Amino acid sequence: MKPINLAEIKPRPGTQAFFRWRQIGDDAILITNLEGNWLILTVEEFTQFARGESTPDSPLHERLLDKNFLRSNYDVQAASERVKARKYFVHGGPLLHVMVVTLRCNETCVYCHASRANMDQVDTDMSIETARKAVDLALSSTNGFITIEFQGGEPLVNFPVVKEIIEYATERNKEIQKRLEFTMVSNFALLTEEKLAYLLANKVQLCTSIDGPEELHNAQRKLPVSHNAFQAAAGWIKRVNEAYIEIGLDPTLYHVEALLTTTKATLGKWKEVVDTYVGLGCKTIFLRPVDPFGFAERARLRLEYPRGEYLEFYRKSVDYMIELNKQGVEILERYAAIFLTKMLRGEDPNFLDNRNPAGAGIGQLAYSYDGKVYSCDEGRMLAATQDQTFCLGDVDTPYRKIVGHETIRAMVIATNLDQQPDCVNCAYNPYCGTNAAYNYKAQGSVFGRMRDNNVCAVHKGIQDYLFEKLAENDPEVMAIFERWTTIRPREHFVQEPGRTPELESDLEAAPSEA
Amino acid sequence: MSSENQTSFTDIPEAIASVSGTDRSVSMTVDSELYPLQAVYGASYIFIDRCYVFIDRPAAGSYRITLSAKESVEEVEALRRIVGEFANELLSCTWRHQVTQDNRVAIETVTVQAIAGAMGEPSLDDLADFDFTDEALDDPLGIAQSWEEKHGRPSPGPSPEAKAEADADAEPKADTEEASA
Amino acid sequence: MTELRFDREVYAGEAIDEAVKTWSRFADFALSETEAHWVVQVTPKHEAAARQIVGEFGNFVLGLTVDRGGVS
Repeated sequence: MKPINLAEIKPRPGTQAFFRWRQIGDDAILITNLEGNWLILTVEEFTQFARGESTPDSPLHERLLDKNFLRSNYDVQAASERVKARKYFVHGGPLLHVMVVTLRCNETCVYCHASRANMDQVDTDMSIETARKAVDLALSSTNGFITIEFQGGEPLVNFPVVKEIIEYATERNKEIQKRLEFTMVSNFALLTEEKLAYLLANKVQLCTSIDGPEELHNAQRKLPVSHNAFQAAAGWIKRVNEAYIEIGLDPTLYHVEALLTTTKATLGKWKEVVDTYVGLGCKTIFLRPVDPFGFAERARLRLEYPRGEYLEFYRKSVDYMIELNKQGVEILERYAAIFLTKMLRGEDPNFLDNRNPAGAGIGQLAYSYDGKVYSCDEGRMLAATQDQTFCLGDVDTPYRKIVGHETIRAMVIATNLDQQPDCVNCAYNPYCGTNAAYNYKAQGSVFGRMRDNNVCAVHKGIQDYLFEKLAENDPEVMAIFERWTTIRPREHFVQEPGRTPELESDLEAAPSEA
Repeated sequence: MSSENQTSFTDIPEAIASVSGTDRSVSMTVDSELYPLQAVYGASYIFIDRCYVFIDRPAAGSYRITLSAKESVEEVEALRRIVGEFANELLSCTWRHQVTQDNRVAIETVTVQAIAGAMGEPSLDDLADFDFTDEALDDPLGIAQSWEEKHGRPSPGPSPEAKAEADADAEPKADTEEASA
Repeated sequence: MTELRFDREVYAGEAIDEAVKTWSRFADFALSETEAHWVVQVTPKHEAAARQIVGEFGNFVLGLTVDRGGVS
């Protein structure tokens, strides 16, 4: 890309309202404003705009006017409405409650050392008493929506406590009447028909991890005895999807989704990764880069990669996914969907790690097996390496002390992009977010330095790619992006307030058991 | 520090920061007009896990930051990395200091909304536990002072009832001081 | 013994007092002051860890000063 020459353009104040800009192609300059409206201008148009010389009645003037880029006609009311819509989540309170019911795990993953324990370490199981207190704390949240996410370790290892949490929370919610949901992230290897029946009857949304094709998945996620973690997960994905159909749910909306962890070994296998997900019936791939939490330094060297290489992988993967969509295959990339929802719809999908300010403490809390409460799951993983920076107290600490903790205040400020050098001038500011725990781990402070920050590099690179696509304005791609940003709520997973939890004894006669 | 054991950092312009180092520590002198103390604090604090950090003012208008590596730093390159990273962090903190001042109202508004929204309204128990003794009130005109305090007049002697109450209050106060000692 | 001279416009006096209390298990301290400096003479109780004790004490004072928002 040939960079534009600002010295030649000679920008000066004139008709423009506040804007930020970024070159995204030889003849394509993105401009964005405070409320997240955007336009892609040619160099000639940008030159006129930057010089403050837009001529009334010109097509450019109309486009600028329409998107609120002109000072004389600046619509403050419209701008404030849009900012308000984008920031609707700010005062909501914690909705995601990650419950680590055990650190024990039946799989050994190459990227996960510190935050797991061997199967004989029963002392890392959450107790019933701690689980109940964690539920009490979660239900104290000011948010009317509560999602309890079971994590580990492997949550199925401590299934009695999973059940206790479901039953106790559902019972307590009869009185509290929040929109309560349960989700579980599991490798599925310990799933049984009996456990599945229980989880289905109690409307627990199931999610697993797939690291790509079978060979790669099994190389990264070691399962003792069968040595085939992929087949264990794939078999249950198929079974759960069948079960959703059996109970009358729409399979396009209700199906198991999986999470990818992109390591160095994944980068060359972008096509195989996408094909694997499509083959398993997944409709979504989340191309997550490996993060620095939980693994040893020597593993880092083996798994990590320059983010430029990741972005190449990302572009190839999403290009391929777009081609598949053109052929009628329904598959979307989650990062793209998150950013596109903000860019195209002016809404925020409330993905907690990519919002401004981020969700640590004010959007999520993590409850460790031992009762300690953290600002986020990353904070809990850091604690596994003896760093308690993000510990807010324990399940006996009053709720208001947890969320009013000074660490939360610091994280809210640190992830507010209006205080972040670089971000204040970045064209992607209205759509972006930063992660305080990542910044702390990677760069020594919750603020971080965006210029050499990997999360920033990934976010910028993905948004570059998406705006390049938007600049091309291919109607077929635009229609695909439109679909990717259409959110269809999965109402089935919302627990009806007042519902009595399905107990094991009830399940013996349940139709799904047959 | 003698010149024999100094490490050369000739690629860092002295007009901005002068650097000298030994085999285990490095000092960097920066202009306080360019780099405010709050930014120097911020950047220095980030290095206290890797270095012993001391700040002084060798002359008016400058700060000198000495970073002394906790682990033995054997190579000049390792010291150079520390200096480079510190310089980047200092620049980042300096700019953040300015940006935070510029956007203070917006940052405070969002933070207050986020925390207040997550905390919700206090319960009666919360209010009962609240520490109202914090001296948050700035009172330059002495409006909150009694007339006697303000004008230095002797206050009328306490009534026998008030004196009894004051004596009763004094006991728990003594306990508190003892507990905190 | 090591003499540390903490600039009074950079380091909070209260931070030094608090740090001295905390570190008195590991070193003997003698405090004095000049117009520009808080002067702390540190005599570590463990010679082998002298550099570490003096260095960590300095970091502690810095940390407490930052925690207070600087010199008031």
